[in-house]
Amino acid sequence: MRLFKNVITRMILERVMLGILTLFAVSVLIFAATSILPGDAATAVLGQGATPETVKAYREELGLDRPAIVRYGDWLAGVVQGDLGTSLTTRQPISDSVIPRFENTLFLAGFAALIAVPLAIGLGIIAAINEGRLVDRVANIVSLGAISVPEFFVAYLLILFFAVKLGLFPTLATVFPEMGFFDRLYVTILPVIALIMIVTAHMLRMTRSAVLSVLSQPYIEMAFLKGLRRRSVIMQHALPNAAAPIISVVALNLAYLIVGVVVIEVVFVYPGLGQYMVDAVSKRDLPVVQGCALLFAATFVAVNALADILSVAINPRLRRSRH
Amino acid sequence: MTDSIFSKSGSSSLLVPTRRDLLRFGGAALAGTALFGTLGKSQAQAEEPKKGGTLRLGLEGGSATDSFDPTTYNDSIPIFMSLTMMNGLIEYDQAGNPTGELLESWEATNGATEWTFNVRQNITFSNGKTLDADDIIYSIQLHRTGDSKSAVKGQLATVSEIKALSPSQVYIKLSEGNADLPVLLGDFHLVVVPNGHTDWTKPIGTGAYVLESHQPGVRVVFKSRGEYWKPGRGNFDAIEIRYITDPAARTAALQSGQIDVANRLDPRTVKLLMRVPSLQIVQTKATGFRYCFVARCNDVPTKSQDLRLALKYGIDREQICKTVYNGYATPGHDHLLDSASPFFNAELPPHVYDPDKAKFHFKKAGLSPSDVVELKVSEGAYGTSVDAGLIYQQSMRKAGLDLKVTKVAGDGYWSDVWLKTPFCAVHWARRMSADQTFTTCYGSKSDFNDSDYRSEKFDKLLSEARVELDQAKRKEIYDECQRMVAEEAGHVVFAISDFLDGYSDKVKGVKTHSRFDLDDCRVAEKAWFAEPV
Repeated sequence: MRLFKNVITRMILERVMLGILTLFAVSVLIFAATSILPGDAATAVLGQGATPETVKAYREELGLDRPAIVRYGDWLAGVVQGDLGTSLTTRQPISDSVIPRFENTLFLAGFAALIAVPLAIGLGIIAAINEGRLVDRVANIVSLGAISVPEFFVAYLLILFFAVKLGLFPTLATVFPEMGFFDRLYVTILPVIALIMIVTAHMLRMTRSAVLSVLSQPYIEMAFLKGLRRRSVIMQHALPNAAAPIISVVALNLAYLIVGVVVIEVVFVYPGLGQYMVDAVSKRDLPVVQGCALLFAATFVAVNALADILSVAINPRLRRSRH
Repeated sequence: MTDSIFSKSGSSSLLVPTRRDLLRFGGAALAGTALFGTLGKSQAQAEEPKKGGTLRLGLEGGSATDSFDPTTYNDSIPIFMSLTMMNGLIEYDQAGNPTGELLESWEATNGATEWTFNVRQNITFSNGKTLDADDIIYSIQLHRTGDSKSAVKGQLATVSEIKALSPSQVYIKLSEGNADLPVLLGDFHLVVVPNGHTDWTKPIGTGAYVLESHQPGVRVVFKSRGEYWKPGRGNFDAIEIRYITDPAARTAALQSGQIDVANRLDPRTVKLLMRVPSLQIVQTKATGFRYCFVARCNDVPTKSQDLRLALKYGIDREQICKTVYNGYATPGHDHLLDSASPFFNAELPPHVYDPDKAKFHFKKAGLSPSDVVELKVSEGAYGTSVDAGLIYQQSMRKAGLDLKVTKVAGDGYWSDVWLKTPFCAVHWARRMSADQTFTTCYGSKSDFNDSDYRSEKFDKLLSEARVELDQAKRKEIYDECQRMVAEEAGHVVFAISDFLDGYSDKVKGVKTHSRFDLDDCRVAEKAWFAEPV
């Protein structure tokens, strides 16, 4: 038991340190990348109406006349103290606008994951149990079909049939603070269906193949020889050992649900963080871009670290092999 | 974007009624035209406005950075938000003439250098304060003070003095006369806020509605103030604006009845929407964006006037309007005024596609057909510039001339490419006065003279017209200005777009307007529901 604790604690510590390093690297990269892009917040906001005079005044007002490295240093110092800074374009604290958006993103991702993960793993196991049979093939073909179609196309099809033709669900998934919980569930049904269709296939196929690969192990053969039923061999002996790859693919998809759904947000007009970040990039609002990127990167790092820790924690062999 | 050249049914048409609807509403095309035909006349005038209901709009043209700060307005949604809860100094009527809003009436003296404006009386702000001359002055000064980054700062540069003669009278002195001052004061930036107000998260206005909640980039809600000083206006209980950037999403929301109003309908699919019986489409013809390619008059190679003429004759405007804008645009006259302007020169023959003339002028410019002129296009200038450029290239090729079309990045387009490239894409919005249009785009001193047109004669004509109070004489001068610019300056104005608004048929009183779509962005105060719930 002590051994377990040590390994896990050490791993968590390692992961946290690595995560912080990663975040730092990400922030440098994002800052450099957005600085290389032509134009800055002043020219982006003033657009066609910019004159050299107004651009200069605006730059000075925003502090953009200072060297990039100084601005980065200022920003970093703020972040270390927990202050994301103020937006260049709205002059409002970034956390005020970013946090609610991030909560929206988490809500949508959580809602989709709550359905997609059990569905994908369940179907994956059923497909593995019935390898080569009709159920297996149907699950494969349908999930592959869903993942092969671009997400905006899935979204438009859903809108066309469920909203425009049948009038069952709203096309606009805009949520706002005054909205009740069940209203939120109702307006986000279509984007959630679209997201489920996108992420299920990957998890389903990974579950299926992980389970199947464990099934070819000698100890499983032993279990069969002892006369156990296929179902209980899979559930009790194969699945726990297949957990590691399943957990990591689930983690990958969870992260995708949080950071990679800008297109779905745009089509369904969902006020998530992705759309906000795209907006900020086009306005060269660097502190906002940085803030969003940090949140996204932190999510990615956290979810992946959690997945690794979990797979070690539930697999005794992995735990021991560290020592 | 590029698919629009080759296929008229882009992916977005998926959202629009398809075969099934066509069958269901046989003869739909006819119904569509009939519906559209009645709109211009607006049967609404015969009807009495009714009170009540929530008007839900899905709009494009805003971002998460929108604010109520009048110096920052730059797109449809902030302008709409502002005119929903505030009033301007001047309102334009349907034809675009200035009429009194918070400045009720005015008088010009001394060669249009001294102006006295009467402030409308008994108007209260939403915080209870009564409107007086100081509020008007403060609202104008917001745009004039030293470090203001307001886009109207330049337009107000000739204002040398503003003062209150009394609580109900404002005096404005100009350093050079300008008969168009009331038109300039109708600019959408110049809305009235209480004297000293600076907290733009809590805007205060004299409009029909007050702000209920505002999440920039997501949703804005207004509720009625009750009484409104304009009779028959401000009819809704509440206004809800949602930001819907994706045109397909906007159309779908309108069709499924989730919103009552959508702006900027996609020209490629609007014909199909016209066939939907529960919708009405308001088309404002040829007062929208002036889509241009602009050649600079003092850069190599476009400094040759003959080359510029070759470029003007070598573009097949009709085809671009038909293919790229699906017919919802009109070829322009290479001078940035549109036919709705009272000073539009109808006598001036437009440049039409003529490969022979193009070839002739090209040769006369001293170039051989193997010489290549480069045109820079970009999504950053406007989305359709790439398609239009490609058609341009083909039509030049028919004249045996080679146009090299280069697509450049949208980022930083206005600061790095425009005004710095001999020949590139640009779009201009409508300006409400001829003087403003010409001074901004062709005046020698303007920062935005993008064809780098320098003509002393032209500048002189402009200053004469500016102080001329006799409209007939002004018309004569502006006729000449249009002729000069169309021949000499560098704009190839190949298309002026239509505004396309979509409304549910439950919304009444919607009209076209010569300034903006959505009835001059004032549909919230002008329209009403046929049967308010």
